[in-house]
Amino acid sequence: MSMKAGYYIALISLLVFGYGEVSAQQAGIAGRVLGNNQPLESATIMMNENHIMVKSNTKGFFQIDHLESGVYKLLITYTGFQVYDTTVQVGNQILVLPDIQLIPDHQQLEQVLVTESYEDRRKRTSNFSMEVVNNDYLQRYQGGSLMKSLERLPGINNIGIGSGNSKPLIRGLGFNQVVVVENGVKHEGQQWGADHGLEIDQYSAQRIEIIKGAASFMYGSDAIAGAIDIQPAPAPEKNTWGGSIDLSGKTNNALAGGSLNLYGRKDKLFFDLRATGIFYGDYKVPADTVYVYDYAVPLHRQQVRNTAGRDINFHLSAGWMGKNVKSVFYASRIYNKSGFFANAHGLEPRRVDHDLHDASSRDILLPRQNVTHYKLINKTSIQLQKHHIQTEIGIQRNFRQEWNHYTNHGYMPAIYPDTLTSPITLERQYDKYVYSFNIRDQIRLNKHLLTIGGNAEYQQNTIDGWGFLIPAFNQLTAGIYAYDQYRLNNDVVVHGAVRMNYGKMEMKEYTDWFPSYIINATDTTRQYLQRVNNINRDFTSLNWSVGVNYNRDQWLWKLNAGTSFRMPIAKELGANGVNYHYFRYEKGDASLLPEKSFQVDVEANYKDENWSLQLSPFFNYFPNYIFLNPTSTYDYFYGAGNQVFYYAQSRVMRYGAELQAKYRFSDRWSSEILGEYIYNEQLSGDKKGYTLPFSPPASVLMNVSFEPKNGKRLKDNYFSLDYRITAAQKNIVPPERITNGFQLFNFQAGTKWQLNKSYIHINLQVQNVFNTKYMNHTSFYRLINLPEPGRNIILSLKIPFQFSASQE
Amino acid sequence: MQTKFFKQSWLTAVLVAVIAGACSKNKEEIDTEYPEIDIAIQDAFPIQCSEITRGVPFTFKAKFTDNKALGSFSLDIHHNFDQHSHSTEVMTCLAAPVKQPENAYVFIQSFEIPENSKEYTANVNMLFPVDADPGDYHFMIKVTDKEGWQTIKGLSIKVI
Repeated sequence: MSMKAGYYIALISLLVFGYGEVSAQQAGIAGRVLGNNQPLESATIMMNENHIMVKSNTKGFFQIDHLESGVYKLLITYTGFQVYDTTVQVGNQILVLPDIQLIPDHQQLEQVLVTESYEDRRKRTSNFSMEVVNNDYLQRYQGGSLMKSLERLPGINNIGIGSGNSKPLIRGLGFNQVVVVENGVKHEGQQWGADHGLEIDQYSAQRIEIIKGAASFMYGSDAIAGAIDIQPAPAPEKNTWGGSIDLSGKTNNALAGGSLNLYGRKDKLFFDLRATGIFYGDYKVPADTVYVYDYAVPLHRQQVRNTAGRDINFHLSAGWMGKNVKSVFYASRIYNKSGFFANAHGLEPRRVDHDLHDASSRDILLPRQNVTHYKLINKTSIQLQKHHIQTEIGIQRNFRQEWNHYTNHGYMPAIYPDTLTSPITLERQYDKYVYSFNIRDQIRLNKHLLTIGGNAEYQQNTIDGWGFLIPAFNQLTAGIYAYDQYRLNNDVVVHGAVRMNYGKMEMKEYTDWFPSYIINATDTTRQYLQRVNNINRDFTSLNWSVGVNYNRDQWLWKLNAGTSFRMPIAKELGANGVNYHYFRYEKGDASLLPEKSFQVDVEANYKDENWSLQLSPFFNYFPNYIFLNPTSTYDYFYGAGNQVFYYAQSRVMRYGAELQAKYRFSDRWSSEILGEYIYNEQLSGDKKGYTLPFSPPASVLMNVSFEPKNGKRLKDNYFSLDYRITAAQKNIVPPERITNGFQLFNFQAGTKWQLNKSYIHINLQVQNVFNTKYMNHTSFYRLINLPEPGRNIILSLKIPFQFSASQE
Repeated sequence: MQTKFFKQSWLTAVLVAVIAGACSKNKEEIDTEYPEIDIAIQDAFPIQCSEITRGVPFTFKAKFTDNKALGSFSLDIHHNFDQHSHSTEVMTCLAAPVKQPENAYVFIQSFEIPENSKEYTANVNMLFPVDADPGDYHFMIKVTDKEGWQTIKGLSIKVI
């Protein structure tokens, strides 16, 4: 008996270990990765839940040796292409796969089974805490502006004005503390103003990456809270001609919008053209009367008077996609004209001619803004053996005008003098020219991926109009950096960066166009007050960043620590006038230091077949946060009797976390919980113990989604319900008001409907299903108690088309 | 098993976040209350739609209150001949027809309030010059508290 047992054990051992040894020497897989029929270099090939990872070589070939026989999951990713996912059976020798053709991302062809989207993978494989969304997401959650469409993401909020303009907040910081990048170049508008939006066409955004955390080492000044990187559509496939039509309609503000896209590519040359038009009327709130202070403003048909607007945008890109050299030009013109609520300009209640305004809900009268943003960008990349050199050169112009009835605030004359050259209704005008240049070289050295680079940006800003907020100024910023990513082993990547920055600010003097009355004992003299002197300041700053990325089995951990900085803006250094939007006298401080920030953030990810969990806490400390501090005093000289606010620097501590949990009950049903929490506190200065302005309240979003089976012609069907609970924000700082909590339901449904060879995307949304009246703490109109928009039904269609491939 | 474990772990995470949020409220209370302007007191002047005669001295009188400590106050008188700016008051006054200003009166002055006052009644002697344009004016009262919270009241007055 024991003899027999011993024999079996020996036999089994021989079979198992002997066989194992043989396979360890010989088994493996090899293949070639192609995209647009071209070999793709550095495509990432992952096997066995990321345990094995290799890159394809210059010819697109890859090989993985020393595999044990068995069934493996193979996953191939490459920027701009859909994730390729397959299962392979490895025997006891090298398995040579047939050529693998990756499908370009923006083409809606459906041959491959995609288990994880490129976006999810990008998010998981990035070294930073990041959110990635694509065009489909933007369609599904389309809001009145690009940033509104992103507000569902935890940690992302926005400061909105009206229905078509908003600017981003990442973890409660915004304005000049967030960098927005489009086509590789930093977008420069008038970020400092709460009533200014972001001049980006949401139809043209193909993919958006949001880095949450210190990103100054890459983007320089301003990337304190993070960066929003808006990427265009990738170049079309070879020998294709096609395009798409986007159509959107919204009930709340009677919006009709559309965008036409055409593209074409022969061999290496391609073009991509887009024209967008969006027209909307006054938006509606669930209230017949709103109260600006105690003054009742009746709303005609619940419409917020004079908030109609229109956007007209053009884009043209053309480029050369060589084997080693790629160069693309992007030109765009973004135009927005939109009205401000007529009954309150800033905090000031206004009596207006209601009959005039209510005659049409689509007219755009005074006050209003016109913004035109021009861009010309060249993006070039050169592949030289181990080097990947990329450059971006950009010219931008942001031309902004704010039109309003002339109002003689302070000592302004009762009658607008006809000797002035600017029109009587031009309250403010900002004209900004920006010249940008970025260069970086990515060098592959064994297990290192080293990036060295530099950027420089020069701005010229001029102003006009009878209202004054910021002076004219020129500004130069430049920096050089080195960033290294080192793959310690299959599981661990460590990375670190260092960056040196230089900044220069030249402010132009500004003197009032009207005299003020200076009372000196018994004498009253008239004096033209000089608001700003010629001030020149230089800034330098050194920033660093370190991180580690650990990826094992279903777990993924990211730890990042780093510093960021922001050069003080013209307003903070040189303001010395009254901001009549808020009835406050804002006093700059020319001796302010660059704002510094230290941040640590962690991201813990878990993912299996049913669960996807992510918790991302952060801690952020500022030794010298620039804060506009309200005082108890009035100034009647420079401040024309208004409350004095002065720019000061204080220590600030911030922490918070975002949570994302997704559970898939079955093939059809899934549920999601998204939560965010932020706590801000000033640790020193006059407002010690207070929060920072625009702190978003805690909120939780619960979702349940149902995805019906693909039909004969319908696929990717979904029904989805979001239930958002937002807490009250009681942590406020003057001049804010406590904002009550609210609960909101949003519903989404959609499908892709096959028509000939292409799929028409149909998306339907009902925002604020129950027409709930609530206020948003971070909205510009919060201070005048204006509720947020009521129920809004949004229908959007995307109709892609492709002309037959041209003959070769 | 695993499912249950992770369900528990994220529920725990949510709880931790909620508790952290709740705890942070336990620190020293900050003042978030706005000061108040009371023009319902006896002899308060001007009030909404008051009439003021040029060349005749009058006394501005209003009561300011705050939960902690008042800061200072400011008065601002502007013409409202074009009816562009409106008072913050519920009641509307009969406005004179729109007209062009010739010598519209402007008055801007700020005043201190004794430190640590929770309540203060302002008495300011004022005079509308005889040569100023008569008509609709806007009388703005602004008061702050020590922390910088500001309350504004805008009154419509008639100058004859």
